[in-house]
Amino acid sequence: MKSYAEIRHFRDEYIQTVSTNHDKLNTFHDQLMKQSVQVAMEKVQSERGEPPAPFAFFLMGSAGRFEQSIWSDQDHGIVFVGDGDCQSYFLHLGEEIVSGLVQVGYELCEGNVMASNPVWCRSVDEWKLQLETWLEEDRWDSLRHFSTFFDSRVLVGESSLLSELKVESFNVLKEQPRLFHRLAENVGFIKKGIGLFGQLLPEQHGEHSGSIHLKQTVFFPFVNSLRLVALRERILEPSTLSRFKQLPDKYHQIKSYENDFQNLLDFRLRLRKDAQDYHEVHHIAKKALSKEERQELKLMMKKGYKLFSETKIMMENECSTWL
Amino acid sequence: MELALMDNLWVVVSTVLVFFMLGGFILLEAGSTRMKNAGHIAGKTIFTAGIGSLVFWAVGYGFIYGEGNAIIGLSNFFYGDFSYSGEGLSPATDFMFQMMFALVSLTIAFGGFAERAKLSAYVIFAILFSALIYPVVAHWIWGGGWLGEDGSQDFAGSTVVHLTGAMAALAATIVLKPRIGKYNKDGSSNEIAGHNQVFTALGVLVLWVGWFGFNAGSTFGVADAFLGFVALNTQLAAGAGAVAAMFIAWAVTGKADVPTTLNGALAGLVAITASCGFVEPWAAVVIGLVGGLMVFYSMKLFDKAKIDDPIFALSVHGTVGVWGTLSNGLFAVPELSTDIGWGQAGLFYGGGFTQLGVQILSVVASGIYAFVVAFIILKVMDKVMGGIRVTEEEEIIGLDLSEHGGYGYPENIPHPAENNKAGA
Repeated sequence: MKSYAEIRHFRDEYIQTVSTNHDKLNTFHDQLMKQSVQVAMEKVQSERGEPPAPFAFFLMGSAGRFEQSIWSDQDHGIVFVGDGDCQSYFLHLGEEIVSGLVQVGYELCEGNVMASNPVWCRSVDEWKLQLETWLEEDRWDSLRHFSTFFDSRVLVGESSLLSELKVESFNVLKEQPRLFHRLAENVGFIKKGIGLFGQLLPEQHGEHSGSIHLKQTVFFPFVNSLRLVALRERILEPSTLSRFKQLPDKYHQIKSYENDFQNLLDFRLRLRKDAQDYHEVHHIAKKALSKEERQELKLMMKKGYKLFSETKIMMENECSTWL
Repeated sequence: MELALMDNLWVVVSTVLVFFMLGGFILLEAGSTRMKNAGHIAGKTIFTAGIGSLVFWAVGYGFIYGEGNAIIGLSNFFYGDFSYSGEGLSPATDFMFQMMFALVSLTIAFGGFAERAKLSAYVIFAILFSALIYPVVAHWIWGGGWLGEDGSQDFAGSTVVHLTGAMAALAATIVLKPRIGKYNKDGSSNEIAGHNQVFTALGVLVLWVGWFGFNAGSTFGVADAFLGFVALNTQLAAGAGAVAAMFIAWAVTGKADVPTTLNGALAGLVAITASCGFVEPWAAVVIGLVGGLMVFYSMKLFDKAKIDDPIFALSVHGTVGVWGTLSNGLFAVPELSTDIGWGQAGLFYGGGFTQLGVQILSVVASGIYAFVVAFIILKVMDKVMGGIRVTEEEEIIGLDLSEHGGYGYPENIPHPAENNKAGA
């Protein structure tokens, strides 16, 4: 059995060798996290015995979308078969995983989207009920939770448990198409990256002044658009690239942005491979960019804005044709 | 006689309006700074107004308007004249109106002290500024001094009141150094946000209203009803300043920043202060617009230069005060300058560079005098008083507690003395 320290050591030693290849890097992250979860499971098993029911540990956020850069935070949950009595076991497992992942180099999730939180660690039935409630409540934060949940994939355990939950939510959405409009509204704020004069808009104050917040200004419009379309087309895949690939032909307009997103992933890896921590990964100093890189970045921003506005219009049209 | 009495009435009303501007400053400064200093910032404005009034009565007025030479007046100390000839303003009416300008200038100077100066520093500087700095500049331009003789145009005090206050504020920010936490080790600056933008906005509105006394009152009378025209110019410039500042902040940073917008309105007001009685309304709009644009860039520039100006006094009153004064040299119309024997028309009205030159001279001379004297005074105070800045611990717990032993918002701030007992 490996220890968290050994996994951390392994990470530090090898991450630079994969840091510029998107697939290899994310496979490496998966490997690290899988090993950490195994260590956690064995530890909890030795303390409390075998898991009381079949379960799945799933990733969300950038890890769920297979879109991590070299540093990343934790976003994960657990779904288990069986009743609420099992919850305490899995919560304990969640806590162990959280502390293990921290030691391996994954920051805590600020929003507490982690398997140690009862909201994100539930039985299949409770999960279904929760998803339904989130959608039906139709509040800003409940819809935001739903979107977070939907960018998910199983890392350890039964994949079918998670698929079952997603299919259940597709059914709710089918009955209430107006929710597509609400889900689009829910992610409608995009941090401005380009100013009136076509200039990049870096942060004005603080430690990151002079830097562009990549995630908020460039990534989110792509990620959010493809999530919306995936919900509409019942695509289970969480990664933005595979969502692009699985889109039916009628979405050729949206598909045309696939290359831009691929470029964006490469761009980030190229520029952020030497980032020292999670916060650095998201910030690119404007000064450090060459003239061509600035142009490239602006182009990707513009494409993202365009993609999102086209997607939003499409969602609105769909809502109205269904009603 | 009746007209003269109406003049007196108008100037007394204006006096009250200008004094009410201190209420605007209280809201503006308290809102732009942190909660832990709110009571202090508000309270010090009241007691320094007290000090300023007494000093102005004792020597300030005499240094400005007393019989003297081109540099300083030297009579009418401890002023008290109840006589009235029946013509013009009564001496006391004039005195009161002038006093308010001195108080506003003093309050502007204290902008540079915000959130880190000792209470005792306020007391001493209030006395010295009101006696040695403001009256000298005011004498030079308004009291029959050498700049006024030169034809310098400063209708209501862009230079005399605003630039003088701002130069003292600049000296203070340099001597006091930036607040704890303002700059990071790598040189980047943090935004220390004010605790209440509603206060700040209300402060600006109160100042804006008071400014009608400041500018339109500076007509000293109601004859020709010129005061209405001055009020019109004032309103247009303030509006243009607010619009320009919000636009430029939005265009350059992507954010329609509220504090910048508010400072833009003030910038428009400061800019038109010198020129409100000399220019046409379209020029007032231009002067306000330029003021609004300048204040945005000036705020950025001071921030970059590591000059920590918590309430942007340097940009609003200093940078824009200079612009306001110079704008006369460009936009002054002959009917309101040459024809009435108050300087020359501006560059755009065939006056050539003469008036612009006079305006530049008055800005440079007044600015240098105010800065140098304030700097020397503050340096000496710093030595003699064992520092004019509070200790690090006092700054962290806030001046409400360290300087006054109470809180502006007692419910919201934990009592640090109970939680952080030394050695515990």
